Amino acid sequence: MSTLSRDRVRTMMGEVLSAQGKDLPSDDDTRLNAIGFRSLDFSELALRVEDELDAELNFDAPGLRSVETVSDVLDFIDQLQSA
Amino acid sequence: MMSDTPAIPAASCVLVSGGSRGLGLALVERALAGGAKVAAFARTVTPELAKIAADHPEDVFVGSVDMTDNTAVGAFIKEACAKLGPLDALVNNAAVGQDSLHVHTSPERIGQIIETNLTSTLLLTRAFLRHAMAKSGKGRVVMVTSVCAQRGYAGLVSYSATKGGLDAAMRALAREMHGRFLINSVAPGFFASEMSSVLGAEQLSTITRRTPTGRLVEPDNITPIVGSLLFDDTNINGQVITVDGGGSI
Repeated sequence: MSTLSRDRVRTMMGEVLSAQGKDLPSDDDTRLNAIGFRSLDFSELALRVEDELDAELNFDAPGLRSVETVSDVLDFIDQLQSA
Repeated sequence: MMSDTPAIPAASCVLVSGGSRGLGLALVERALAGGAKVAAFARTVTPELAKIAADHPEDVFVGSVDMTDNTAVGAFIKEACAKLGPLDALVNNAAVGQDSLHVHTSPERIGQIIETNLTSTLLLTRAFLRHAMAKSGKGRVVMVTSVCAQRGYAGLVSYSATKGGLDAAMRALAREMHGRFLINSVAPGFFASEMSSVLGAEQLSTITRRTPTGRLVEPDNITPIVGSLLFDDTNINGQVITVDGGGSI
């Protein structure tokens, strides 16, 4: 399976936020609740990544509960792609 | 006019699926304490279940059976009957859980949840009823379902569908088995142990605070209700009894 780069996923995360009139700050340590990036936004991002990869990245919810920052989101998507 | 239809007798030999740990193990102990013999199976027989069997060699029969293996389940029922005598009650407790959004749950996982929780439970119930009708003629069935069958909870789409399916099947079976079997569901809320394994202390505290009794569910809250449905002359039939501290009201 091909994978998307961290930068590409970050761009896609920005697109998810942009569609809601929100901006993605440059600091990866920014907390998700500070920018209004909610769990279903993560879900949308994962589905957009799946669409580009043409492969499913299914996951359980508990792992997602520890995702708190922009960096955590990118790490989580990285892990899903390498699983 | 008084009815001349006799009451369904108390359970004398109870089959418990998923009886190796947690609520299932507590249900085995409750059925035994009620004076019944108990046949229990689970994918793995835990030391706790094995000890109960060792302590009550004449009254308890246990086995390692995959719920989705219909042939193995049928063989277990025959072996249990040979050891303990005819089975006249069933507690459908075995199930697998879920904690994933529907859009991120693979088709294979959805199929597994439905196969284990719904299809296999219906097949076990069918096998039990065929056995019990031929051997005892009457009996009781308790489905352990969930408050998820009545209220929406994120991350539990397939699980909820299976539990709702069992509640619906329970009502239809209660009609079909007219005068022969009492068939009911007990629907627990979220168990403290399950919740604490996936949620943080703050989330756990919030959910507990929103539960009118101020307490999440423990297996000991469920066993008296199942015990009553197995042993008492309550005339309760075709019902879902929800035990959730009032969390769903």
